[in-house]
Amino acid sequence: MKRFAVALLVPAMIVLVGFFLAPLIALLSTSFHTYSPTQGVTAQWTVGNYLRFLSDPFYLDVLARTIRVAVETTLICAVMGYPLASYLRTTSGAWRNYLTLLLLSPLLVSMVIRAYGWVIILGHNPMIPLYTEGAIVVGLVHVSLAYMVLPILNSLEQIDPSVLLASASLGASPLETFVRVTLPLTFPGLLAGSVIVFSLSVSAFVTPSILGGTRVKLLATFIYDQIVSLLNWPYGAAIGFVLIGVSTALLLAFSRLLRRSHAEIVVG
Amino acid sequence: MMRTFHRAYVALVYGFLLAPIVVVVLASLTRTDYVVFPPHGLTLKWYAAIAAHPEFLSSLALSLTVGLGTALLAGTLGTLAAIAIVRERVPGAGLWLALLTSPLVIPTVVLGIALLQWFTLLALPAGAVPLVLGHTILALPYVVRLVGAGLRGIDPDLDAAAAGLGATALERLRRVTLPLVVPSIVAGALFAFITSFDDLTVALFIVSTNVMTLPVRIYNYMQFNYDPLITSVSTVMILLSLILVIAVERVLGVGKTFGAGAVR
Repeated sequence: MKRFAVALLVPAMIVLVGFFLAPLIALLSTSFHTYSPTQGVTAQWTVGNYLRFLSDPFYLDVLARTIRVAVETTLICAVMGYPLASYLRTTSGAWRNYLTLLLLSPLLVSMVIRAYGWVIILGHNPMIPLYTEGAIVVGLVHVSLAYMVLPILNSLEQIDPSVLLASASLGASPLETFVRVTLPLTFPGLLAGSVIVFSLSVSAFVTPSILGGTRVKLLATFIYDQIVSLLNWPYGAAIGFVLIGVSTALLLAFSRLLRRSHAEIVVG
Repeated sequence: MMRTFHRAYVALVYGFLLAPIVVVVLASLTRTDYVVFPPHGLTLKWYAAIAAHPEFLSSLALSLTVGLGTALLAGTLGTLAAIAIVRERVPGAGLWLALLTSPLVIPTVVLGIALLQWFTLLALPAGAVPLVLGHTILALPYVVRLVGAGLRGIDPDLDAAAAGLGATALERLRRVTLPLVVPSIVAGALFAFITSFDDLTVALFIVSTNVMTLPVRIYNYMQFNYDPLITSVSTVMILLSLILVIAVERVLGVGKTFGAGAVR
């Protein structure tokens, strides 16, 4: 009986191990080797690639910029997406389906094309010029907004309407009800949306590459340059694993923080 | 008053969401030799110009082939794995699910370089096969989640009834479970196709100058060319995705599954 279950899992695991885990482990090993411009990746082991990244202000600056852009994108998506989710909450039937589909439809268009659309729009825009952090944030908000709206909508729908009525009948103004009842109850949705948007933005490549150009580099585009232009595989690989480590650590810290503040608001 | 304000805001946000797409489509109609918005004059000459660039057509053919291959491979592997985890309750189900969805937390640029190094090591030349394998890794988490959600919606009594009537595990799978989750499987395969069709980051690393998917071709072209050919090729790509989604939606009505599964 269980042998049947295991057999169903085997094909997916073969592909996953053969073309995901094994390549990643090989790359991790590369990141611990030295690089020589004449020989490429050498047989010598080192932690130098990681030390080089973590000790150079120039590289740390790229890291800080990447995190800043991801945090800004997440905040803007939350502020922009919340009112949209609360509007969708009030709709129903065909109109609701139509609006949801319209919200998701940009996801069907390749990010290359969407970024190019922003190149055309921002090309003549003096407020947010092309090849700036601002341009990258605009593109990332566009790519990520739906991932913020849907989880918020989901938690708005789980609120029992009688809770809101109770709040109003106890004399709370609509604003008080929102701040003290609705908002805390939708923290799980906000958290889920923020986690998705932050991870998408911190590791984004296409949008920063097209809207940041050669002037504004984020970690992902910087890794690409190291590998493709400079052929420094060990260093490019090391930056890749720094990116994974930093984003995982930030996400864990962030979700712990939000959970705690959520508990404080609800309990205290 | 408040309500009107809210509606106007929502309209603005939708305008923001559709703006870059509408701009690309409209810019493809310009008579000028450079990209401009709003377009100057109206012409379809940039669509005719695609014919003079056979490399875009061969890239389109490759992208469609790879997308189809990814839909088949990721769809099959993901469905089987979801059945093992959700329906058959394989030991360590949580761990397997975490492993199957782990590609979501790895930046695609890292996956791209890892695969480039790996395929070089294996001496596997650029082509449809490595692209399908790479895109299957990207799409597998979505298929497993979508089909898993579909499986959870099935009444367990149906399976128990089939077992009580003497059906073997394989028979129950083939004649009870699979037919019930067909909409989820199609949604998963569609999502896999679109993931593959739209991917630039992974493909960028594992293509060669002769073998190039359409997003990579567009990306490379826009680095050095400023003519509106990009906008007409992009519009064709947008239309193809749209037609595919509408066709699947019409046949199976999976729009809701597709929408909800995309973010969970």
